Amino acid sequence: MIYNFYIFDKQGNLLYYQEWTRLKQSGITCEEEAKLMYGMIYSMKSFVNKISPTDIRDGYMHYKTNKNALHILETSSGLKFVMNTDTASTGIKDFMNQFYLKIWLEYVVKNPFCLPEKPITSELFKAKCDEFIKQSTFYGGIKSI
Amino acid sequence: MSEDAVLEYLHIELVNYVLSDKDVKKNENDLSDLEYIGFTTGYRIIERLTREWPRFKDELEKLKFICTDFWSSIYKKQIDNLRMNHQGVYVLQDNAFRFLTRISSGTQYLEHAPKYVAFTCGLIRGSLLNLGISSTVTAEVQAMPSCKFHIQFNRT
Repeated sequence: MIYNFYIFDKQGNLLYYQEWTRLKQSGITCEEEAKLMYGMIYSMKSFVNKISPTDIRDGYMHYKTNKNALHILETSSGLKFVMNTDTASTGIKDFMNQFYLKIWLEYVVKNPFCLPEKPITSELFKAKCDEFIKQSTFYGGIKSI
Repeated sequence: MSEDAVLEYLHIELVNYVLSDKDVKKNENDLSDLEYIGFTTGYRIIERLTREWPRFKDELEKLKFICTDFWSSIYKKQIDNLRMNHQGVYVLQDNAFRFLTRISSGTQYLEHAPKYVAFTCGLIRGSLLNLGISSTVTAEVQAMPSCKFHIQFNRT
């Protein structure tokens, strides 16, 4: 099950946010939540880099708690795709790579109205993103409610 | 795959660049430069594309060539519909025009659509001229990514 999805640029600006089956809200505004999320990822990245016994070159990290898993895909250009899912979902890395190739590159990079470092306002991107998530095998929101 | 993307990025920047000299031109909606760049491009492309083609019999054959081979060499698809309307104007309809498919699928950003079709209007006009037809080409976008090009022949 996919709960929500953030896209950050390399400066930490929130470019895009969407949520699906999110049962518990954080109680703070979306902007504050995004700042917290980015800060956490930033710290985690530097922590993992220092603590890791080997070099990390993958650009992909995830962690799991009892209830959820958080997946981070970072591209070479510094974009961060962050997805919260349930703990049973596997293969999110490939899924996020596919998202980058099929949705981000097509509907953001090739859209003249999506400017760098600006939140995405394109309705088409939003629709395609929603469709892509809902079609995936991970989505399955309805079954579990 | 990536070589196709180059045309798209270049076209986006072409539109940006040509329309960014607003101080000089005083008119934001002046698309004639874009159209002219398309015109000269179209004129040149025809030289190469028609090399292995037999001579065209009439105007309709030339238009069909534009709709099929010419269109697919540039936009990777054929024109979806070619019609003649009641005023004697040919109408070429592309239901998924390549320069618009990434922008919107509806009416968002519709006011900007003319900028992204002006180059192609010129492209059609230039190629038809090199095939011996003088014409005026305009475009009409009601809902993206669909686009209609109207071709009016200039009879002398």
